[in-house]
Amino acid sequence: MLNGLLLDLARWLDGQAWSTALHESLYAYAWVETTHVLTLMVFLGMLFIIDLRMLGWAFTSVPATTIAARLDRPMMIGFAVMVGTGLALYYAIPVRTTQSIWFRIKVVLLIAAGINALLFRARLRAAGDTWGHESRAPRRLRIGAALSLTLWAGVVVTGRAIAYDWFDCHKPLPAWIYQVAGCVDELAAL
Amino acid sequence: MELLHVFEWFDQSLLADAAKAYGGVFVLVQGVHLLSLALLGGMVLAGDLRMLGLLLTDVPARTVVAATQRWFSVALGLMVLSGTFMSGAVALKLYYSEMFLAKMVALATGIVFFYGIRGPLFRLAADEPTAGAAGTTSIWAVRLTAIASLCIWFTVAASGRWIGFS
Repeated sequence: MLNGLLLDLARWLDGQAWSTALHESLYAYAWVETTHVLTLMVFLGMLFIIDLRMLGWAFTSVPATTIAARLDRPMMIGFAVMVGTGLALYYAIPVRTTQSIWFRIKVVLLIAAGINALLFRARLRAAGDTWGHESRAPRRLRIGAALSLTLWAGVVVTGRAIAYDWFDCHKPLPAWIYQVAGCVDELAAL
Repeated sequence: MELLHVFEWFDQSLLADAAKAYGGVFVLVQGVHLLSLALLGGMVLAGDLRMLGLLLTDVPARTVVAATQRWFSVALGLMVLSGTFMSGAVALKLYYSEMFLAKMVALATGIVFFYGIRGPLFRLAADEPTAGAAGTTSIWAVRLTAIASLCIWFTVAASGRWIGFS
């Protein structure tokens, strides 16, 4: 049901002239993808510094709350550009991306990373400034930082794997992979 | 001609065989390469923007320079190791790729610039009471170095991505 709806949406997007134009453009698609990758340095770069500080592995002489506060804005600017370019990349190749098992895992990891980030921010506010000068953050924040690093590493790896066609719907695959990837037509033909 | 022999030898090496044979490992290594790029980029950005007076302005420049240089070196090591493995899968293609040549030139420039110019200059400026504003280091030298550093590492990352498109 949900797979059918997602595929219908993807096919509708795929039928739009702008989607085809972006996909088939000589330079636009490449530049959008390049921007998506380069923004990793802004978004993930800042996130790494914050998480490494929380874990007590970098900038230990600087209050962790200062690092988190000062790097939040560039990190969110990077995140916004990543989301914008990511949506454009999806728009350019909507059907194959919707039916990519890697894209689906990436979205799940993104949601998990988002929830973790919200919880992390709430814990950071709740913890106040009392621990700021300590080399390591309180245990709950350290767990959040480690989880953040792990989830974003997963997002990057699965994002990179989308380019590979190992589990594309047109290939003979086990039924459970068709199910997870949302290969509606292939499942109906079984 | 001799350089081609090096690439041909690399193409026949065990490392190249492994990079070609194990797609899953290759993707994981690509992931490590991208994560290292993010770490390296974050450290370059934090250090350069601090010296430009745009980020972490209430944190001592000396602290930012020291912390970012350490993690930059870690990221660079991971990038070179993962990049070498990835190159094995397409060694001969890379020999004929102008974008790969551009990336290697930019990378070599970046490494020499980082350790030979940027690092010493930033450390010198960071040790002064008001970084770059007084003393022996020109504030414009510091700023131009920071801008040049950002441009070089942008070129490394962008040309690296464009290898895949060329």
